[in-house]
Amino acid sequence: MSSPTGLADRQDERARLDREVLDWIAEPVWKQDDARFEQLAREIFAFQFANCAAYGRFCVGRATAPASIASWREIPAVPTGAFKELALRCFPAAQTLKTFRTSGTTGQSRGELHLDTLELYEASLLASLRALLFPDRRAHERFDLRILAPDADDAPDSSLSHMFAVLVAELGAGDSGFDVQRGELDLSQLIDALTAAEKRSRPIALCGTAFAFVHLLDALDAGGLRFLCVPGSRVMETGGFKGRSRELTRHDLHARLEDRLGIPERRIVNQYGMTELGSQFYDSVLVDPSGPRRKLGPPWAQVRIIDPETGRDAAPGEIGGVVIHDLANTGSIAAIQTADLGRLVIDDSGRAIGFEIVGRDPAAEARGCSIAADEMLSTGRS
Amino acid sequence: MFDRGRRNAVDGSELSGGDSRMTDFTIRWPDESAERVESAKGRLDVARGRLIARGFDDVLGVLGQVFELWRDPGSSWRRRLLDEHPDASGFSRENVEAGLGLALEHWTGDALRRAIESERRGLLAGTGRSLVPFASTSVILGGAIPMPSLLQPLIPLALLSPVLVKPSSRDTLTSRLLAESIAAVDPEIGRAIEVVTFPSDDIASLDSFLAAECVVASGSDETIGSLRGRMRQTQRFVAYGHRISIAVVEAGMAMREPDGLARALSLDIALWDQLGCLSPVAVYVVGEGASRATPVLAAALASELELRSTELPRGAIPTEVGVAIRIERDSAALRSASGEAVQIHAGAGTSWTVIAEADALARSCPLHRFIRVHPVPSADSLEPAVKPLIRSLSSIALAVEAGPGTDLKARVSRLGASRLCRPGRLQAPPIDWPHDGRPILAPLARIQMGTDERR
Repeated sequence: MSSPTGLADRQDERARLDREVLDWIAEPVWKQDDARFEQLAREIFAFQFANCAAYGRFCVGRATAPASIASWREIPAVPTGAFKELALRCFPAAQTLKTFRTSGTTGQSRGELHLDTLELYEASLLASLRALLFPDRRAHERFDLRILAPDADDAPDSSLSHMFAVLVAELGAGDSGFDVQRGELDLSQLIDALTAAEKRSRPIALCGTAFAFVHLLDALDAGGLRFLCVPGSRVMETGGFKGRSRELTRHDLHARLEDRLGIPERRIVNQYGMTELGSQFYDSVLVDPSGPRRKLGPPWAQVRIIDPETGRDAAPGEIGGVVIHDLANTGSIAAIQTADLGRLVIDDSGRAIGFEIVGRDPAAEARGCSIAADEMLSTGRS
Repeated sequence: MFDRGRRNAVDGSELSGGDSRMTDFTIRWPDESAERVESAKGRLDVARGRLIARGFDDVLGVLGQVFELWRDPGSSWRRRLLDEHPDASGFSRENVEAGLGLALEHWTGDALRRAIESERRGLLAGTGRSLVPFASTSVILGGAIPMPSLLQPLIPLALLSPVLVKPSSRDTLTSRLLAESIAAVDPEIGRAIEVVTFPSDDIASLDSFLAAECVVASGSDETIGSLRGRMRQTQRFVAYGHRISIAVVEAGMAMREPDGLARALSLDIALWDQLGCLSPVAVYVVGEGASRATPVLAAALASELELRSTELPRGAIPTEVGVAIRIERDSAALRSASGEAVQIHAGAGTSWTVIAEADALARSCPLHRFIRVHPVPSADSLEPAVKPLIRSLSSIALAVEAGPGTDLKARVSRLGASRLCRPGRLQAPPIDWPHDGRPILAPLARIQMGTDERR
């Protein structure tokens, strides 16, 4: 058991690290700063190595310690699945302020992210939303936001619902709101909002899970309804379909959204995120409309593509496992090994300009917010 | 299919040279595959009469000769399979050779005849019963392991039903070689088996293929479900879906004979790179002392899998499988780091993995030589431990000491597996093994009362 002094020292160090990351997040213009990332990643690793006993022993088992690494790329990553079995946190359990859980059906174990503060978590998600989903937003401008997901009261342990709640609170105009209530997509409310936005020639931003959008599209198809959302409107969808009653390719989903909502594919953004992370990644289409569609994230969250045979970085452009090193995860573990497959997107000069997700470990359980929402919506319909 | 070289498909005009996308132009008839399936069915319809005229004993004798050909390691069919299958399937040559050798060891012509005659006698027991063959049988093969591809098309033939075969995309070779070998032994009977290939999304070809009176299909549960939805009520549909196997080892034996058991179990795991329904996905060490015996057996198994990686090298694996193996290893390492009595043994890269678990909780198995060894404190606890797997359970390799005082064997036999065998023999089922609990002949023929069997 730690002495009070030890605990106080730990809290001071943690507060210092949080401030460092918050300072980076607060900068108005994102700058890729490898030296800064390297320094912070090492400091956070040292903190997590010392303060999360299981992670520290895991690293020792890999003959890795803060003093022994030459680069942040050598910091061991923990698989997302481990969050189902272990409480990976760097603070006393009694200080837990919020626990987000991965979705799952009854009987399935669910991953948990424990947080002792929401400040860093919310700052990171909001900065990424501002920069990558609303890059064209003018100062103090607010948007009509319709959220195709349950609100935080309906899903208190959903990180996605929390993110949307923060988004609505910070950037939403008066007509913003959630359109999944008690497990059902409130179609009439959503259609009213779309109609109103069209009449008033106001851009609208629709955000939600991919499968909630499929439910919306099915309803619009059935009713023969089609909208022409005004320029400036956008869609942000997240999550997948694997294991669900229906599967659509992302391209098909975007094409159907364009057809029914009049929002061009170049303004439809897929978000890549997960409960275990404090930062998220977004399709590049709104910030680089002429470049290839790829995932972009904030400079305090770096992505590695790992060759599973060697455990080292895959050759540029090769497919491998996606590992995310998110400095916003100060209270849990920063280096996360996902179950997804991806590859770096390389420009003509050989420089990595983002990454793309190309698949998923087939053994990974069907999970994700999109699927949970689909279950809720399907239940609600039956 | 016409190869039209560099000519426009519409008007036949010469194409300009600058556009590489327009070279090597080919015209494909839209219904080419479906027409091939129809043609094959037409030929089988003609062959059917001759097949029936030959009669059961004659045809069975020919099929027995075919089996003997395949058992001979020097036969041209076996050598061609050995030469060509590894590249197509992804298995190493050593693995294919060892797998074929073990499985065909007891698949003799006599064994085939005995198995079929024995079951046939049983089916015909009673007054006036007859086996009526289906007018045709379509067989959809799955996976890359050649053994089912050698056996499944033969059984309908033995019942005098012509066979249309769709090989698996990962093994288009075995069924073709089988058909060629039958034709080489007896051209007339060889005309009663046809092999057709078409893309899985070619619905016209699929529907034509599935129009047979009897359809036999192997594949994932998803595939089987999709095929079932296309069947008419009047058709016989015999499906072999997702199955797994396990090993159960009495804890005392694991302590006394870890090396011998590990040697045998490593063969069950390494053959066909753990991808078949007869491959074990977990080893359960059962009884008093299981917690001590589990790491002992796991360590021995790790040593043997390391040897097998040289003797029977694993084939290449998809990236997603490599990622899954890494994730499962790291998850186990984290559980170990958090204080669970979990031990991880791993070969170079992702070549093999043995996890000595601290409990019997079912966890993900990425296959490709990834095995968990679980302690189960008592025979009473085995069924709850295996419960998540029981629905898909095929076979169990069982190592248990004979004698009074243990009811482990009785408990294991009640788990619902269609076969119990000793470790090292999982990949060598007898020819009359009731696959998924079904007899080999009965699902593939109709039994009628008071009719002429040959009609």
